[in-house]
Amino acid sequence: MTRPDTPDADRRDHPFALVTETGNTATLSAVTRAAEVAGVFAGMPLADARAVCPALVTRPADPDADLAALGALADRATRYTPWTAIEPPGPGGEGGLWLDITGCAHLFGGEAALARDLRERMRAAGFSTVRVGLADTRGAAWAAARFLAGAGGETPGLALLPDGAQRQLLANLPVEALRLPPDTVDTLHRLGLRRIADLLALPRAPLAARLGPVVARRLDQALGREPEPFTPRAPAVPWRKTITFPEPIGRTEDVERAIETLCRALRPRLEQADRGARRLLLEMARVDGSILRRVVGTSRPTRDPEALARLFQETLDGLDVGFGIESMALTLTVVEPLGAEQHGFVRGPGQTADATVLLFDRLRARLGPGRVIRPAPRQSHVPEAAVTTADRAPAAADTWPATAPRPSRLLAPEPVEVLGGNLPPVRFRWRRRVWTVVRAEGPERIAPEWWHGAEAPAPNRARDYWRVEDAAGHRLWLAREAGAGWTVRGVFA
Amino acid sequence: MTPPAPPPYAELDVTTNFTFLRGASHPDELVVTAAALGLRAMAVTDRNTLAGVVRAWTAARDTGLHLIVGCRLDLEDAPSVLVYPTDRAAYGRLCGLLTLGRRRAPKGSCLLVRDDLASHAAGLIAVVLPPEEGDLDPVARDVVAFREIFTDGCHLAARCRLDGRDAGRLAALAAVAARTGVPLVATNGVRMHTPARRPLLDVLTCIREHVTVETAGWRLAANAEAHLKSPADMAALFAAYPDALARTVEIADRCAFDLAELRYEYPDDITPPGRTPQAYLEDLTRAGMAWRWPDGAPERVRTTIAHELTVIQQLGYAPYFLTVYDIVRFARSQGILCQGRGSAANSAVCYCLGITAIDPATFDLLFERFVSAARDEPPDIDVDFEHERREEVIQYIYTKYGRDRAGLAATLITYRSRSALRDVGKALGLSQDAVSALSGTVWGGSSRPLEDAHVREAGLDPDDPRLRLALSLVEEIRGFPRHLSQHVGGFVLTRGPLHDSVPIENAAMADRTVIQWDKDDLDALGMLKVDVLALGMLTCVRKAFDLLRETGGPDLTLATVPADDAGVYDMLCAADSLGVFQVESRAQMSMLPRLRPRCFYDLVIEVAIVRPGPIQGDMVHPYLRRRQGLEPVRYPSGALRRTLEKTLGVPLFQEQAMRIAIDGAGFSPSEADSLRCAMATFRRAGTIHGLRDRFVAGMLRNGHERAFAEACFRQIEGFGEYGFPESHAASFALLVYVSAWLKRHHPAAFACALLNSQPMGFYSAAQIVRDAREHGVAVQPVDVTRSAWDNTLEPAGGSGGPGGLALRLGFRQVKGLSGPAARAACERLVAARAVRRFRDAEDLWRRAGLSADVLEKLANADALAGLGLDRRDALWAVKRLTAPPLPLFAVSGASEIGAEPDVDLPDLREGEAVVEDYRSLRLTLRAHPLALLRPDVERDGVMSTRRLRAAADGARVRVGGLVVCRQRPGTAKGVLFITLEDELGVANLIVPARVFEANRRAVLRARLLYAEGRFQTDGEVQHVLVSHLTDRTDRLAGLTAEPSALALMPSRADRVGRFPETVSSHRGNA
Repeated sequence: MTRPDTPDADRRDHPFALVTETGNTATLSAVTRAAEVAGVFAGMPLADARAVCPALVTRPADPDADLAALGALADRATRYTPWTAIEPPGPGGEGGLWLDITGCAHLFGGEAALARDLRERMRAAGFSTVRVGLADTRGAAWAAARFLAGAGGETPGLALLPDGAQRQLLANLPVEALRLPPDTVDTLHRLGLRRIADLLALPRAPLAARLGPVVARRLDQALGREPEPFTPRAPAVPWRKTITFPEPIGRTEDVERAIETLCRALRPRLEQADRGARRLLLEMARVDGSILRRVVGTSRPTRDPEALARLFQETLDGLDVGFGIESMALTLTVVEPLGAEQHGFVRGPGQTADATVLLFDRLRARLGPGRVIRPAPRQSHVPEAAVTTADRAPAAADTWPATAPRPSRLLAPEPVEVLGGNLPPVRFRWRRRVWTVVRAEGPERIAPEWWHGAEAPAPNRARDYWRVEDAAGHRLWLAREAGAGWTVRGVFA
Repeated sequence: MTPPAPPPYAELDVTTNFTFLRGASHPDELVVTAAALGLRAMAVTDRNTLAGVVRAWTAARDTGLHLIVGCRLDLEDAPSVLVYPTDRAAYGRLCGLLTLGRRRAPKGSCLLVRDDLASHAAGLIAVVLPPEEGDLDPVARDVVAFREIFTDGCHLAARCRLDGRDAGRLAALAAVAARTGVPLVATNGVRMHTPARRPLLDVLTCIREHVTVETAGWRLAANAEAHLKSPADMAALFAAYPDALARTVEIADRCAFDLAELRYEYPDDITPPGRTPQAYLEDLTRAGMAWRWPDGAPERVRTTIAHELTVIQQLGYAPYFLTVYDIVRFARSQGILCQGRGSAANSAVCYCLGITAIDPATFDLLFERFVSAARDEPPDIDVDFEHERREEVIQYIYTKYGRDRAGLAATLITYRSRSALRDVGKALGLSQDAVSALSGTVWGGSSRPLEDAHVREAGLDPDDPRLRLALSLVEEIRGFPRHLSQHVGGFVLTRGPLHDSVPIENAAMADRTVIQWDKDDLDALGMLKVDVLALGMLTCVRKAFDLLRETGGPDLTLATVPADDAGVYDMLCAADSLGVFQVESRAQMSMLPRLRPRCFYDLVIEVAIVRPGPIQGDMVHPYLRRRQGLEPVRYPSGALRRTLEKTLGVPLFQEQAMRIAIDGAGFSPSEADSLRCAMATFRRAGTIHGLRDRFVAGMLRNGHERAFAEACFRQIEGFGEYGFPESHAASFALLVYVSAWLKRHHPAAFACALLNSQPMGFYSAAQIVRDAREHGVAVQPVDVTRSAWDNTLEPAGGSGGPGGLALRLGFRQVKGLSGPAARAACERLVAARAVRRFRDAEDLWRRAGLSADVLEKLANADALAGLGLDRRDALWAVKRLTAPPLPLFAVSGASEIGAEPDVDLPDLREGEAVVEDYRSLRLTLRAHPLALLRPDVERDGVMSTRRLRAAADGARVRVGGLVVCRQRPGTAKGVLFITLEDELGVANLIVPARVFEANRRAVLRARLLYAEGRFQTDGEVQHVLVSHLTDRTDRLAGLTAEPSALALMPSRADRVGRFPETVSSHRGNA
């Protein structure tokens, strides 16, 4: 239900549900036990669920993440057997995990001990409800886990079908235990065929003529009369490439060439996945067994091997290779989507932006990420809030809109003493000097961002900016705000 | 020393909230503010629309402001331009231009290019809006082009935005103006009537751009300057350009066009050539009189008709009556049942024309039968048609008048609590969770404000700053227009092209066009419309009449159903009204035994009394007490006696409330009407308060008690939300009587027609069937050897229902069989059956050519029983047939069904059969589930509804049954009404809000519900005031699943407990 790695894990004991949106309707795709008690169930429209249980907390369902989590579980289960697979949740039932433990059980003290160990480890990992079924066939194990491994019995959550008793145990289970599509189950129910025993009693041919081969096949698979191939899950391949040298290398050029080779080797995969690298980790294994690490980042997803290799060059100064490096591994720790792009076909003005980006990345690789920053627009009308620092390359639209001129440097508001005139002052004292205004332009009225408080600020809270100039041509940025009087906000160069 | 008066100013650029998601103020707010600021005039210039001008015009009329009708034209290939018609002809051209742009674009948008303007520009004054940023050189070229188009006046708009660059920009614009000879005119680009609307304007921008306030950034305005400014403020801003200010007034003075000039003209093709409408109407009326009273009309009726014709002549309404008559005549020629209602519809003339069936000689009880010449109110006739055939009538109108002369009125869709919450919540970045939790607390599309209690109920903190902000913005945005939709059936018909008077645009439905004004706008302008409405009960009544005729019963029409049948009234007094028009709801059913209707006028009252108006005005109980003689009949004053006599001194109808305003509070008739309008369009809190004070003061002045005055006002407020005039109640009452008469005398035909007209009414097919059986109608199951698509009547055989007819359920009752394809399949089946009886399932399948899906649904519905196959055997048989055929057999045409071993399927137990009936038909003719569960239920200490009926008032009781109906009417303050059904009857539960909160799950989820509480009865009306509820849906599982299977699946019990849908639950308002 709740993946233990999410921040909602503590909601397990509360009415909580995951929601899938299709078109305009939102339906619950999974609910907690507490939610079930409150009267909501998976498959219920969200609006109805809200009416029944107003306290229901929901999050959008993330089937991909669920699958990934199942995959991670399957990976962990490889401690028992290399043959694991996941069963994605589907209309036929909840998802699950397959383990083919043929020939493995004795390593863990037998089948029962293995199953207990598996269950305990899963529980320790945060999965509160784990049901394990173990049988000679996949079909029987599936049924056992879902229909026999209940809370009762001598070992709760475990169902081990003894050899030979399979048929008899299965016969008493409902037909749902056969991994059949829901509408097939429904037809069987309508025909009054509720238990597997009812099916076993029927002649096969008429059954197949009506419900297709699926019922008979599932029955045979569960009973071991028909083999069911098991396709284990392929291990996930990390974004990683290694290279081992026949002779340890030590020269910087060799290292650089090796890095480029690695970058080149990863490129086809990146292209295939429409991804680019944003953060890369280079590990260099020295002959003495220690590992040297270098990390670089890019400001936009990149898969250009030369560009990536150049970033590492910046980090190689003073590299102590000892007696040489015998192998290297390059891991892309962060990859991001990057559409197919054609770089550098025409050398045009676009190239300059790229050059800036490359320079920026190289400086950051050399000086360290915290030492190179770039001012970037922040979408706010309030001048002091309109700038931020970026660690990414500027996008094309990443510029400030046209406004009245702004001083290149803003001052914290410095109050002035008005000596004469108003709107704007004609004479005022600022920084122990009296200023006489000969020209002024304004006002530029900027209203505060009202959404920060509970009440919208009064309309007269706006701030008025004026540009004023004295006879000597000094220009100041004055502002007036209700309650704050006149202040200097900046000096124009 | 007083400062010199500022130069006069007229605001020419005003965007109201009819430019959806761009304007942040209602038109009337802007007009009232403009008047208060002392503006010389104000224009309304919404983007490519005139939808808001009537509202502005109405408000301007009340405040005395000079309103300029205008429009902002957004063009594809040039800067936007504001245009103002100087006279009626120019206004017509503007409407034509907008129609052109709207009709060629998808719904909601408009597509115009500069070249379109040239042919429509005569008489329009234009103000070109330069783009807000960037180089003005290209603008100069555009301005020159516009100068050539708008020969009656072309100007360039200048606006101070207070962005620090105004001086430079004004100078640049002045230079363009000097260079092109197009003078500068001052505007302020108004989007709101007060700067306090800035947050709302920002939120609207966010909704439009699908962003949140945090991410909207520069899409929001930097300041709140786009509000209406006073002449002094504008003078200060344009101190250097006094001519630009003066020019606003010049333009305003030239724009003399007033919407009042729109003279409505009736179509002329409803009158034969050479006849005046009045003469023709008089002829038709005379002919109708002879038809209605073959032996001559009574003297009183003749007098009435003569009087009415005089009034019609005085007011020139003859064409209107003829227009309606023409539509009704068409409907009648097609056998479509229809009936008019409304003030004019109840006239004797309409009876003669066949527009209504209320005989003025018999039912001469109505207050004000007709529009009076003294009261300047437009005639009002709505015509209801059979809901299944209304489209034919609509198409007739389009064909007869053409699309350029017939248009549907618009309905303005406005923000209500739920939609406002969703959009504002999104804009403020509230989590989707919080938003849906909040809107979950709003039942239906309520327009009530969200209270703190609701917020807390949703598990949220009402003191959270962001939430508070959101809720206050939700309050502000409620009532804002969102889009124009089509009115359910309000047609405007004109003599000349309609687009000369109002722009026409595309509706969402293909082949539909709507005008840009809604019914209030049309009322305000005195443009007449005919409401062509759909009414399910007319379909039902027509089908019942047809059935009677076909089965040898009487041949009836609405007007010839025997009147004053005591049996009918006896039945209604006993609240035996399931299926009867209007009086079948729970609230009506509990009113009937109290009101005890004995004559037609009682039905008129019955229809009108269970409405928000009388309920909010606390008029119901005084009326009942007086009727029962428990309280003397008193009149608030002699003046009101005449008005209130028919209703024992208690105002129940909208007309009475209006008369009280006139006679009691001293309103003029038009003031009373604007009072009604003000109520109808909520969100004019300001005006309402003023009206309330005036109303109460007027009443006090005329010697009425304050309590009475306030009750009357509350009632008027209630009418505003759902007004119910006597003139409509009378027409409805006739349908009440007719449907009750059918139910009383021909229950089989009535139930059959009711089922064939679904969906309509309050009740499910199961309840209709059950009710029919309780009235002695034999009901036969769906059967492929006997049923048709519709439900039918057949000779009852031995069982002998009333009239010797039994109701045979039709294929349309089978769940999942709907739509033309299923219907065609079933009709093929009937045709094949007529050729030869079906031998077996295979014969049925082959000869009727049924799809696997249809065949299976029929089998599941137990419809193959006539072929000797019970439900399971039938499914087993058809599953074999409908498996994908093997190609070889398909080619040879030979039967591919080989011999098979016999298969013995488990027998269907009765409980299972009942469950399967509900699954496939939503009803059962077998035992009621509760009858099967009775022993279990008894053990739970639950009494049957029969025993409940005999319980003593105040007794503690425990009842149980299937939930057949849940209602939470808006007027009931959170109280919930639930109806339970067992095999012996129904129990009515009243669930207080507190009990509902504590038992949400049971209330909303349970199919089988136990209720404990106190029994309340006054002899006629009985209910249980519930204190505790238990969901016992699990008991139903016992009907279907094998106990052993249940025991095996402890973890799945909840799934088994999901009993298939038994009955549809109504969740609407009463």
